[in-house]
Amino acid sequence: MTSDLGFIDPTASKHRTKIAPAPRSMDLSNKVVGLLDNTKEQGDIILETVGAALRERYGVAKVIMHRKEFFSKPASGELIDAMAQQVQIAIAAVGG
Amino acid sequence: MAGKIDEFEFFLEKEWSDGFPVVTPTEERVQWMLKGTRRDSDAVIGRVPPAGEVATVRTIAIHALMAGCKPEYLPVVLGAVELIVREEFNMGGVQCTMHGVAPLMIVNGPYAHKIGLHGGNGCFGPGFRANATIGRAIRLMLLNLGGGIPGLASATVFSSPIRYTACLAENSEYSPWESLAVSRGYSPDDNVISSVMVESPRLHFDDVSTEPERLLRGIADSMTSTGSWHMWFRSGIAVAMSPQHAKLCADAGMSRADTHSRLCELAGRTQGNLKRGGNWRPERARAMDADPDDDNCFIKAVKDPATLQLFVAGGMGPITAVCHGWNDSSRPVHAKYEV
Repeated sequence: MTSDLGFIDPTASKHRTKIAPAPRSMDLSNKVVGLLDNTKEQGDIILETVGAALRERYGVAKVIMHRKEFFSKPASGELIDAMAQQVQIAIAAVGG
Repeated sequence: MAGKIDEFEFFLEKEWSDGFPVVTPTEERVQWMLKGTRRDSDAVIGRVPPAGEVATVRTIAIHALMAGCKPEYLPVVLGAVELIVREEFNMGGVQCTMHGVAPLMIVNGPYAHKIGLHGGNGCFGPGFRANATIGRAIRLMLLNLGGGIPGLASATVFSSPIRYTACLAENSEYSPWESLAVSRGYSPDDNVISSVMVESPRLHFDDVSTEPERLLRGIADSMTSTGSWHMWFRSGIAVAMSPQHAKLCADAGMSRADTHSRLCELAGRTQGNLKRGGNWRPERARAMDADPDDDNCFIKAVKDPATLQLFVAGGMGPITAVCHGWNDSSRPVHAKYEV
């Protein structure tokens, strides 16, 4: 945290780590897509519409819907692990 | 100033700045701040969501210093961080929400009095160093360590003035009742922080009532509105009665618990009233076990009495401050802190 600034920059914590986002697939054909419903009203309708469009227009093999416990809580580790096992691409929705 | 870098501009230009200058954190000043605690400076207190940066005693001391705290405020800041990282408080959800609530810290016990935390005249506003800087230290950490920055992790539409700072004491000198902490089973000698996610206070004026029922009906009305998120969720909510309003109830023989319970009974609206605008939806009514077609169904503002934070604060005058809440996912929290 100390530097040649002459004072402390608390942005530069030794605990801070950068996590690179997963590579984005540019081809959806024959992929399994996971859709995460955040439980807000109508989020499921948006996701179902997106899922149908992905199958019809982009050749997605399968769409799997998942649902969080509550919209303003993060998805549980179990749910994230399950999605990571099942799907190749994940899409989250914000309803309301 | 160090070298060619202007330290004021250096911090003001950080994306996590709250828009005000900070006390420049030099090693010497941080060591001074750390005199406020006996705890190991490398001890980990928790991770601040959603970014999850680690808050150690030292990083908390740095932010307390930047915020303008004195070393003797540090125990309160440490205790506050321990509270807000609790899972049931869901700080991460509030950091990301469209809403503008903030964790309000209500501090009870002798240490708050000793360090000058103010619960009287003007306590929600400027002019009181402990209130201003302890709350600001928390906010700087939520910004820098948690990443709750509008345009980054935070989707807040308006944010709120309560997101600059949100820390106060009770007006124990003039309260007719036991403190909020004592009502929860703590001893008057315990140093306790209670925290709840709330909006900025709205002021309920009543210089007319001469008996509790009319007074409490009015306060209860201020606890409700068609567009308040907590009407359709099991949320925390805070009500700070001025000593004058509290005394009116106490003089009529009402205890703190009586007043709390009467407010929980009175605060609400019929579903027909709430349908006129705001965030009523049939799905939300069903989630409250209400028939969406039953316009006479009474929807309570406080679904669980344990989530109402009733306390006595403010100066002399006929006003109660009401802070509306957020949603189910954050449970109000309280704990003793180490001094």
